[in-house]
Amino acid sequence: MKLRTVKSLSGQAFRSLKKTPSVTSIIVVMACMLVLSSFMLVAVNLTRIGNEFQAGVQIRAFLSPDMPPDAVDRTHAAIQAIPGVASVKYVGKDEALQRLGKQLGENNFFLGDLPRNPLPESFDISLLRAADADRIAAAVLELDEVSDVRYAPKLVDRLVGVLRIFWVVTGIIAVFVLVGASLIVSNTIKLTVFARRKEIEIMKLVGATDAFILFPFVLEGIIIGLLGAGAAAVIVGAGYQGLAKWISSVAPFMPIVTDSGHLGLAIVIMLCFGAAVGLVGSNISTKRYLKV
Amino acid sequence: MVNMYGVTKVFPGNVEALRGVNLNIDKGDFVFIVGPSGSGKSTLLSLIYRGTVPTRGHVLVAGRNVARLRWRDVPMLRRRIGVIFQDYKLLPDRSVYDNVAFALEVIEASPKEIEKKVPQALSMVGLAHKASAMPEELAGGEQQRVAIARAIVNDPLILVADEPTGNLDPDTTLDIMDLLCDINVRGTTVVMATHNHVVVDKMRKRVVQLERGMIVRDERWGAYCHEA
Repeated sequence: MKLRTVKSLSGQAFRSLKKTPSVTSIIVVMACMLVLSSFMLVAVNLTRIGNEFQAGVQIRAFLSPDMPPDAVDRTHAAIQAIPGVASVKYVGKDEALQRLGKQLGENNFFLGDLPRNPLPESFDISLLRAADADRIAAAVLELDEVSDVRYAPKLVDRLVGVLRIFWVVTGIIAVFVLVGASLIVSNTIKLTVFARRKEIEIMKLVGATDAFILFPFVLEGIIIGLLGAGAAAVIVGAGYQGLAKWISSVAPFMPIVTDSGHLGLAIVIMLCFGAAVGLVGSNISTKRYLKV
Repeated sequence: MVNMYGVTKVFPGNVEALRGVNLNIDKGDFVFIVGPSGSGKSTLLSLIYRGTVPTRGHVLVAGRNVARLRWRDVPMLRRRIGVIFQDYKLLPDRSVYDNVAFALEVIEASPKEIEKKVPQALSMVGLAHKASAMPEELAGGEQQRVAIARAIVNDPLILVADEPTGNLDPDTTLDIMDLLCDINVRGTTVVMATHNHVVVDKMRKRVVQLERGMIVRDERWGAYCHEA
């Protein structure tokens, strides 16, 4: 398509925007994008919290009593070789006793009276993904030198499950938003298309290409989508930063996402969604009239 | 220029508009398609500009099988065919000049080409002096002349006319027919569907008669009704 044609058709799209009740569509698209972006940001934060929690999940593997030093090294290497293991740290009997003393705090006085150190040697195993905890624990327990393993499987499962559900819900909302907002935009564009149906019919008869006919309508749809998404982006951008600041002040232990990268990405996704909504909506409304 | 081989067109609801039509129209021909309402005249014309495709058989326009054209090639075919209708199909919010220029704008002709060709087309149909008028200010015959100017401005190979004089009085009808003859003399093939006995009988051009979707008569210098 030639540049002067693009200019001329763009002018048509902007003139049409003034004539049709596009403000209603822009507001609806904005509302849809607000819902979607809110879910997206909550999902991103839950994932961050989940990731930090998952990074802290460890399996503790207790060794059988009186292991020779080479067996300890062998076990260390065997655990390290299990897929999904991030790191393995050996905890000797003395270190285990010191840890217990720290945990007991003021109540650790009786530890000095013990005739011998009853605690076994162990390995602290950090994981790449908490979801692999069951598999790795089972593999570690199969080693001859390991007598027992401890971790919090149910908590890990629940966390992974909640995150999965939240992302699925966000995905479903994204689909509903895309379909719903597209239909709204489609209805607005339909008014323009209907008003110009005779013109479209003549265009087709004198040999205009579908791209030529579609261009102003698609552009109008994309502008509506982008304006709606842009308005939502401004509200979400300002609102989220304020909210994140407030949460950080009242609950500093919460790992809220505050970096501009994540927020920027969310805004870019919203704008892409807005453009997609316009594209899909305008295509729905014009398709019928192109079959001449 | 137009070749139809065993063309059958069945619309939804099993409505058979054309049945086994064989027709050859040479370059430079002037052909009247006659027959009662519902005999398949408009369907036959729409097959030429690919307003529809045959259910069975083949339609070749300028050597190309229109049913096998890719969707993106259809506009290229239509740029070589001018189409006019009984209801003119003019854009009411554009001037005469703009209505004619529209046919060139949508195929992305250069402004220079538009400035050159539109006045030429309007002169040919005798409306150069009404270039700035709006369609509603024109009489029916003048509106049809604008439609003809729009159809010929792109120098088509074929002019397809679907009852172009249906809304016009007898005198204006004859003016329009003179104009179509002029266009034909310049080398454009004209295919026209009509109910107008007077025009067909007066002009003595090729007549193809349709009845219930079949060609029942094809005469080189025919009249509206069969002459024994």
